[in-house]
Amino acid sequence: MTTDTHALTTEHSPVAGLAHDARGGISNPVLGMILFITSEVMFFAGLFAAYFNVRANAPHWPPTEPAELAEHFNLHAEPWFAAALTVILVISSFTCQFAIWAIRKDNRTGFVRNIAITVILGVVFLIGQLYDYSTIGFGLGDGVFGTTFYTLTGFHGAHVFGGVIMLSVVLYRAMAGQFSARHHDAVEATSLYWHFVDVVWIALFSTLYIL
Amino acid sequence: MSTRPRSRPANGTIIAGLVVVGLLVLLAIAAAAGADLAGSARRAVDSMFPPQAATAQGQQIRNLYDIVFFFAAAIFLLVEGLIIWTVIRYRRKPGDDELPPQTHGNNIAEVTWTVVPTLIVAFLFFISWQTLNSVDAVAANADVKIKAVARQFQWQFVYLAEDGQTELFTQLLPQGEGGGMNVPVGRNVEVLLESPDVIHAFYVPRFLFKRDVVPGQTNRFEFKLNDNEAGQSFNGQCAELCGVGHWTMTFQVHAMSSTDYDAWFQQQRDKAQQTPPPAGSGEPPAATLELDAQNIAFATNALEAPADKPFAIHFVNKDAGVPHDVAIRDASGILTNGADVTGPGEATDPVPPLKAGEYTFFCTFHANMTGTLTVK
Amino acid sequence: MATTALTPAAAGYRSGLYDWVTTTDHKKIGILYVANSFLFFFLAGLLALGVRAELAQPGLQFLSDEHTYNQLFTMHGSVMIFLFIIPMLAGFGNYIVPLMIGAPDMAFPRINALSFWMLPLGGLLLFTGFLSGGAAAAGWTSYPPLSEDRPLGMVGPGQDLWLVGLILIGTSSILGAVNFLVTIFKMRAPGMTLFRMPVLVWTVLVTSVLVLMATPVFTSALIMLFIDRNYGGHFFDPSTGGNAILWQNVFWFYSHPAVYVMVLPAMGMISEILPVFSRKPLFGYKAFVFATAGIGALGFSVWAHHMFTTGSVYLPFFSLMTFLIAVPTGVKMFNWIFTMWRGKLTLSTPLLFAIGFLTMFLIGGINGAFSASVPVDFALHDTYWVVAHLHYVLFGGSVFGVFAGFYYWFPKMTGRMLNETLGKVQFVLMFIGFNLTFFPMHVLGLEGMPRRIADYSSAAGWNTLNLAATIGGFLIAASMLPFLWNVFVSLRSGKVAGDDPWEANTLEWATSSPPPPYNFDRLPEIRSERPLFDLRHGRAHPALTPPAPDRTQQLPAGH
Repeated sequence: MTTDTHALTTEHSPVAGLAHDARGGISNPVLGMILFITSEVMFFAGLFAAYFNVRANAPHWPPTEPAELAEHFNLHAEPWFAAALTVILVISSFTCQFAIWAIRKDNRTGFVRNIAITVILGVVFLIGQLYDYSTIGFGLGDGVFGTTFYTLTGFHGAHVFGGVIMLSVVLYRAMAGQFSARHHDAVEATSLYWHFVDVVWIALFSTLYIL
Repeated sequence: MSTRPRSRPANGTIIAGLVVVGLLVLLAIAAAAGADLAGSARRAVDSMFPPQAATAQGQQIRNLYDIVFFFAAAIFLLVEGLIIWTVIRYRRKPGDDELPPQTHGNNIAEVTWTVVPTLIVAFLFFISWQTLNSVDAVAANADVKIKAVARQFQWQFVYLAEDGQTELFTQLLPQGEGGGMNVPVGRNVEVLLESPDVIHAFYVPRFLFKRDVVPGQTNRFEFKLNDNEAGQSFNGQCAELCGVGHWTMTFQVHAMSSTDYDAWFQQQRDKAQQTPPPAGSGEPPAATLELDAQNIAFATNALEAPADKPFAIHFVNKDAGVPHDVAIRDASGILTNGADVTGPGEATDPVPPLKAGEYTFFCTFHANMTGTLTVK
Repeated sequence: MATTALTPAAAGYRSGLYDWVTTTDHKKIGILYVANSFLFFFLAGLLALGVRAELAQPGLQFLSDEHTYNQLFTMHGSVMIFLFIIPMLAGFGNYIVPLMIGAPDMAFPRINALSFWMLPLGGLLLFTGFLSGGAAAAGWTSYPPLSEDRPLGMVGPGQDLWLVGLILIGTSSILGAVNFLVTIFKMRAPGMTLFRMPVLVWTVLVTSVLVLMATPVFTSALIMLFIDRNYGGHFFDPSTGGNAILWQNVFWFYSHPAVYVMVLPAMGMISEILPVFSRKPLFGYKAFVFATAGIGALGFSVWAHHMFTTGSVYLPFFSLMTFLIAVPTGVKMFNWIFTMWRGKLTLSTPLLFAIGFLTMFLIGGINGAFSASVPVDFALHDTYWVVAHLHYVLFGGSVFGVFAGFYYWFPKMTGRMLNETLGKVQFVLMFIGFNLTFFPMHVLGLEGMPRRIADYSSAAGWNTLNLAATIGGFLIAASMLPFLWNVFVSLRSGKVAGDDPWEANTLEWATSSPPPPYNFDRLPEIRSERPLFDLRHGRAHPALTPPAPDRTQQLPAGH
């Protein structure tokens, strides 16, 4: 029977979820975001599973039917625009990470600057994606190829859009001076989400344009 | 320090008593309703087993079931008995506030009841796998090949040639005298399953077997009826929800002796190869009947036609995307089968002269679409 | 310090209905979950009575057409699964888990509230189908091509409302899972290591992992079907390159782990109740934890056992994994039995329902083993045997578990005891009704009665058993009457519960009934998975702390 009492505490803040766990380790919001990202990975896994299943069952891939769309289906021939979008998104991940490193060192100027660039790159990606859709030559209803292409890239785009919103909020709050080296959980969480969005795109690009 | 509810240990007795009384009441009701309790007991045991298997594959499944059942019954009696015994034996006596021994666990017990069940399920898996290989085996060449086509909401059986591709003739009716899947006993029958619309399932309880019919792929299986089943008919039914007519998609498998089957098969094959006499041989139809189909129903269920003269049926299908047709049958079988029309569309079906009497007109795709054709 | 009604000890600065609608307190949210889930339980139960009324005798008596019948069983299954059992268990988890780990609330209280309110909205969407020309009617499994927008298929908005409603409900589930996991990993009281957590917390943990990993896959399937139906997609249409079996694979990849989501927390509740009413610890705590984790992991590897008859799956693998999952389940069964063994059992209502769980879930597990054997499954799949199996595990298992938990934790949530006699009446009626309804279905399945048929021929010989099943169904409905009366009467004038009416083991009983908004004034020392037991029997010290902190500070928004 011990009388050790210093481990006992009733000094819990009534507000659940301390930003910094007294015992160390990642904060609640960051852990929550990691778990949420896990669920998002599984969502894309379902879409990718559908794509691979449909592709494995198809006699030809890219499909050769209908004949007039066959050349548009051949994404391998013209991957350059998509490759450019890939580069943009990868750079935006770098700038996002620069922003993180900056705020961890309390460098608020560098932080705001890099977040702003990340937002802009994200918007450029979205515009590029829409432009790609308009020139690609086939639609969602054009066979399973069209359906899987637009579903996969479309939901990815939706997630990029969500990420851009989150980054914009972070940017706004950053410019209002709400973050510091000690308190910037929202930034950490958002950057994790942004990196996830980038990784999904790399997987998408590889699958749709290269494999 | 805290307030435990002072529940009476007699509560357990009350519960047990209630359950027993409840069961006795049920038995009394059953007896009062005229039930034969002894025969019922025998039937009750039988009811825990599938019906007698009519095919060789079905018998293998039944044998496997019996083994699984043995283990299941043993485990059920052991574990359920243990629970009931424990609950009765270890009730707290009133006023006994002493703690029982605070056993936290026992590693040997844990290992035992992990290893033993693993061995049991491994055994059950193994024998199941063996049976599966046997049941799913496809003979080198089954000499009877039938394509079962499942549509919303009727089965049709297309008899195929040796090559498994060429269609020889079709049983348009899924059951009954002039329909159903006729097969010989004692020979391998291969069934190919196709559907142009949604997923169905071919299920015959006496075969202890079912297989899904999936659009876009051709599933196949084989069966061999036991010799002593010649002359029997086996009921079957679609077993995958396929829409509003799901429960109506019944069919029958008619078992024939090998010679009877060969004779029937030849007769059907010949009939299909005969060129049908041209309707009316140029004579214009004495009457053209109007018939519409909409919402999976004929617009009318009564038609009239003149006797002994060729006539025609102008058939309009208003159901977009749904195939219908008009066929005519009487007690002897199907007499005519009009063109398949997928809506929206129409066709004019010539009908050769019919004797006076009552006939049934029906759609070969949808069992509910029937009507009476009065010829006079 | 204890109060005797649902009002918390410290008066909030919002009152009444507004408080309940805007609360972020996990206890209130938990109660909202439980109440909402019961509402949908009754609605889905009425749908089942509609099914049973129609099937009592051959011939279509009550329903004008089969389409209505198909809607009844589709909505019954969908509502029971997504709006009753999964959220009910989440609700119990919501209420109990923070208390059990000594935390003041969940990790993300506002997301917690959001998760709840998505449920009535999702339910509304589903039921609106009835008003829009027909609710979903392709079964809760919604297999294409039947569920696609095509002639003789699921034409009309009902199926789309079903899809969107479920996407919403699934999102609610996923957010809840994130909340549970962060709470459990990060907010346990000092001294509570993972292996000192109550088993209920472990089951909620594993359940949350399943929800997190599997539900999004279901979301993707729902979205793909929505795209097929509304945007000209071709995922599941074989005539244009799609694959009908693709749906089944993606659907069951979620829906099989989902059945463990539907039962593991109920098993956790049983694992709390049996020790208390046996006056012994849970037998084999660690084995239990590993068995739970094992079921969670294995649960991801068996999904295609729902597809044995499709001709499109690798049968031996899925059959083997399905057989194997019986092993950890058996381990749990034995651990429960040996918790009671040589104990001193008090046969109160919670224990009765727990014993009901054990006896009935055992049957469900055994009849499931038949289906694990592929050739036997060829005979039993899509027959009433499967209906018997699923109800023995979900009703005999989860629902009995829910009632056990309800009778056990009602005093903590409300400060009042439920009436024991009414509870026992409910138990007996429900037990008899349940078995009368579902045991005959084993026989019906063996005799060849398929599922999901609106009617059957008198010549089949299924009349008597169907009639018996219908009578049983109405008996189950009748058993709800003493239950509702019990709740109504006990809320007003039930016996005052006090902190710990059951002489229990875990931390939620170390505070008032109901607890104050911040849950605990003080926590006892935590040295095992039974901190209260240890405290009571001199194995741990009560908290020797400085005087309780000043609680007159303004509580932040949401408390």
